[in-house]
Order: sequence, then structure tokens, then C-alpha cells
Amino acid sequence: MGKGNLLMDVKNVSVTFGTGASAVEAVKNCSIKVHEGEPIGIVGESGSGKSTLARAMAGLQQPSAGEILFRGESIFKGNKSYQNGNRNQVQMVFQDPYGSLNPQLTGLSAVAESVRIHKKVGRDESEENALKLLQRMGISKIDALKKPRQLSGGQRQRVSVARALSASPSLLLADEPTSAIDQSAQAQLLKLFHGLLDDNFSIVLVSHDLGVIRYLTKRVYVMKDGVFVESGDTESVFNDPQEDYTKLLLASIPGELGKAARAKLARS
Amino acid sequence: MSSLEKKLLELTNLEIGIVKPGRKTLVLVNQANFQVDYGQMVGIVGESGSGKTMVCRAIIGTLQRRGVSIIGGQVLFEGEDLSQINEARWKVLRGKVIGYVPQSALAGPNPVLTVAKQLAEALEQIEGTESIKSRSKEMLDLVKIRRIDTVMKQYPYQLSGGMRQRVMIACALASKPKLLIADEPTTGLDVTVQSQIMELLKEIRRDLGTAIILISHDLALVDEVCDKIVVMHAGATVEVGTTEDLSRPRHPYTIALNSSRIDIAKPGGELITIKGNPPSVGQWMQGCRFAERCDYKDTDCSVGEQPPLFGDKDKHQTACLHADKIVRA
Repeated sequence: MGKGNLLMDVKNVSVTFGTGASAVEAVKNCSIKVHEGEPIGIVGESGSGKSTLARAMAGLQQPSAGEILFRGESIFKGNKSYQNGNRNQVQMVFQDPYGSLNPQLTGLSAVAESVRIHKKVGRDESEENALKLLQRMGISKIDALKKPRQLSGGQRQRVSVARALSASPSLLLADEPTSAIDQSAQAQLLKLFHGLLDDNFSIVLVSHDLGVIRYLTKRVYVMKDGVFVESGDTESVFNDPQEDYTKLLLASIPGELGKAARAKLARS
Repeated sequence: MSSLEKKLLELTNLEIGIVKPGRKTLVLVNQANFQVDYGQMVGIVGESGSGKTMVCRAIIGTLQRRGVSIIGGQVLFEGEDLSQINEARWKVLRGKVIGYVPQSALAGPNPVLTVAKQLAEALEQIEGTESIKSRSKEMLDLVKIRRIDTVMKQYPYQLSGGMRQRVMIACALASKPKLLIADEPTTGLDVTVQSQIMELLKEIRRDLGTAIILISHDLALVDEVCDKIVVMHAGATVEVGTTEDLSRPRHPYTIALNSSRIDIAKPGGELITIKGNPPSVGQWMQGCRFAERCDYKDTDCSVGEQPPLFGDKDKHQTACLHADKIVRA
């Protein structure tokens, strides 16, 4: 899988909340290039600004400075985003699948609704498409007819992913998709994400869990207090972290991954 | 110490269920068997819905609040059967001899009480009013909170997730419990905060000698901090042993759980996931409840009851009929 065309170009983006003395600069002068077929990881602690940046990339949060280009075109026009038929091209999966699914809708109708809007097809066809997508995500027909509260956390998250994919995006922004689900469901979801990657598709994975980042991504950006403190190929950042903050993050991972980093930290 | 002296808690064939008159009893947990020694750190792992939290609620006596009750077996705490005691006795034990740190760090503390009031509530039960303030500070110091005087005046919303969880741990430790139950204490917290909280728990165990039960779905985490691991699947304990024992798992479920660990997986490589979903409560099959998801399934697996834990109580125990065969394979 080679590096394809440039999908998204985040150029010197800053996001500020509030004005005057109480203004908080959540994201400061961050730049990312996302290529087709090259999954990207953004890692950092809570409050580091990683979700804000992801929201800006999804067009949900207007940057206060800098610009975000999708296939060469700025995603924001005035105070609107993704106006030129690109809306379906970038989709987002949120951390809390329970909060992002309508509790009144079954998984099938939630996904079918999205299919109807993005593909402009009729009810029957949309449900047929939705079911196919859900089955691809490992949700059986029986489970597809259940409401979110009747599903497990992992299943809910897979429904959200199916809904995001129903728009046939070329970029999926996943904001902490695995932090609310248990270990085996997490493995299942990561395997799914990995299977989705191809030359015309990419994923931006936001997480505080470096294990997840390492498994899925090719390039990683380490974020602290709104700034990228380190970035590079995921493997080289893991094997040879330069910044103290990255070393600390690595040493905090439970299990085998962290053990090596802790040993290294103790030696130095 | 003889084995009798070191044993703090012992669960024997614990059975938990919802009993409603005129309806079939819905069994949530049966065949929960394990023991905790004084000062030991024990991890309980399993998928969501495997009954980890129910078992803990049985030990802390809060099952009844949800219409659930212990319908069989024993929970022996220092020789006293917790399934038989009344609410008056629970008032003496709960929160005092047995401490509890709830799952949701962010929702745990009372939002309208300052940290000082929160701690005072916990301390009032045991201390005279004069010493509360100094004891509160002592507790916050114990859980490594800096700027104690400021934090005492703050409300939970002004604290970070890690700080809130530290306050909750301080409250739980206020009465110097013999056993502390931490139910997924780091879910929703950052890895860096998680590792700090784990360090804290280890120190508490070392300095105060408190036995700790740590519930988690993260095998890597439990593996690192606990002396002993209890694996639960569909309401039953399927494997119990020291951390050392469990590094060579013998139950197919533990083996599968181990291979879904992201920290050992190669980037982009094979990530073995456990087939299917855990069986729902009320829909447990005959015989071993893991059989449908098991790669080693044989004809005798789907007959009769869930297999009990085989092996000596103090040793590596496995609830699998074919453990020997699997280990050799």
C-alpha cells in the first residue's frame, strides 16, 4: 500500500475559544498532511487539543487562523463547511457511541437514514445498503434491528462506524473510538479499521492509547498543550522517541509495550 | 502464617440473580469462586457483562438496591458470611472495613459538595469532629494531591479526572479498610493518569497493607499490577491463578483474551479476536458457556453444567474439561 494523493492539508491551524483575557488557544499552529492510504495518528492527554483539531478537520469547528484544504480546496467557506459536495467525503466517528446514536432509532434505520441522505436513494434500497454495511461490520440482521441500548458498547461503536462509512468517505476521522469499549471489542474494531484501509481511503485516529495508534497508523503526531511536540513514522517514534513527553506517554502504556519504554527510561 | 490466617475473603459457588415472584429467576452469576488474602492485589478480568461488577456489589452489599440478590453460595469475609448479614451489620462493614472506588471517576464525587465536605462525610463516620480537617489533609496527602488547601475548597467540576479519582480513593481509604474494591478505576482516564493511579494503588497496598480487588477488562494492566488474576466469562470464574500462572493460560477463553492484547500485537498484523459475542444473561447454553466460541470444543463440552474450577484452591485453577489437552497442543 503506497502513499497516494494528498487528501487533506492542515496548514498552520489555530483554534481559540473565548475572547480577550479568558481566551484559550486550544490548538496552536498545527500542520498535518493526510495522504490516501496513509493512516495518521494524533496522540496526547485529555486537554491537549487533539479532539478540537479533529473537529476542525471534520468542519465542525472553525479555526481562528490557518486553513484546512481537502483535495486542494478550503473546507470552510464563510461560516459553512464542506459546501461543494465534499460533505460525504470526510466522516467522523465519536468517542461515545451511546451519545452519538439516536436512542429511538434501530441501528438499521440510523444507517439507512444516512444512506438516503448521501446516496439519494429510496427507502428499500437504503435499508438494503445499510444492512450490507452493518453485516460487513459484523452486526447480524437480528442485532441491526435493535436499538442502541440493547447493544453492547462494541456493537454500538460498529454501528457508528457503519453509519460513517455509509457516505462512502475517503477520510474517516475517529476520535477515541476504542476508549469506551472492552479489550476484545477493541481488537475487533481495530481489525475492522485495518481491513478498510486501501489506496483511496485513509483514517485519522485520535487516541490517548499508544497501543491502538501503533497498531493502526503509519504516521503519528504527539500533541501537548495544543502543539505538536513530535511527529514522524509511527515505528520510529515508538522505537526512538525524541521528546521527554513522548517517552512518558510510552512508559505509561500498560503491558509489554510500556515495559520496554520504562526500561529505556530507567537506563537514561 | 497458616492458610486460615491469611485468608481475607473467600467466594464459594456464589450465585447472584434477580428473583421476582411468579417469574423464573434470572441468574446473573453462578459458580464464582476465588479467594483474596490479606494484603493481596487481585485482578478480575472479563468482557462487559461477564458479571465482574455484580460480584463486587455482592462483596460490598449493594446488590439489593437494584433488585438483585445472592441466591446461593457463600461470601466469607474474615469468616463471616456476607450473604447472611443484615443492613445494620452492613452499615459497620460497607465503606469502613470494605472500601469501594466506583467505575466512573467523573461522576463519582457529589457535584455539589467541596472536596473537604466530601471527605468529611466519609470521616465523620469514624472520627471525632475536631480531627476531621487534619485527617482530611492527611488523606489527600496520601493520594498525592498537591496544593491541598486549594483543592479542599474546590468542587469536583474544578478538578481533572485523575484528581477526582484520587479524591474518591481518599474517601474510600478514610476508614483504613482491610479490603478496597476498585471497579475499573481508570476507565475514561488518560494512560499517563492511569499509570499514576496504578502506582498509587500499589503504594497503598504496600504502605497500608490493604488488600485490593481491581476490576478491569484490560488484561495487560491487571497483568502488570496484580499478584493474582481471576478470569470471568458469562457469570462464572473460568480461570484463577497467580499472575505467573496466567502467563501460561490454560482456559481457551483466557488464551483468546491474551491474543487480543493490543500491546503484544504486531502493527497491522494478526489480531486474534474472540469469536462471537458473550452469551446473554438468561441465554446460557448447556455445559461450558464458552463452548460456542471455543476453538477446542469437543462433544462433551455442551453437556450438563458449566464445568467447575478444577485444581487445588491455592493453585492454578481452570474450568475447562480439556485444559490438559490444550496445554499440550
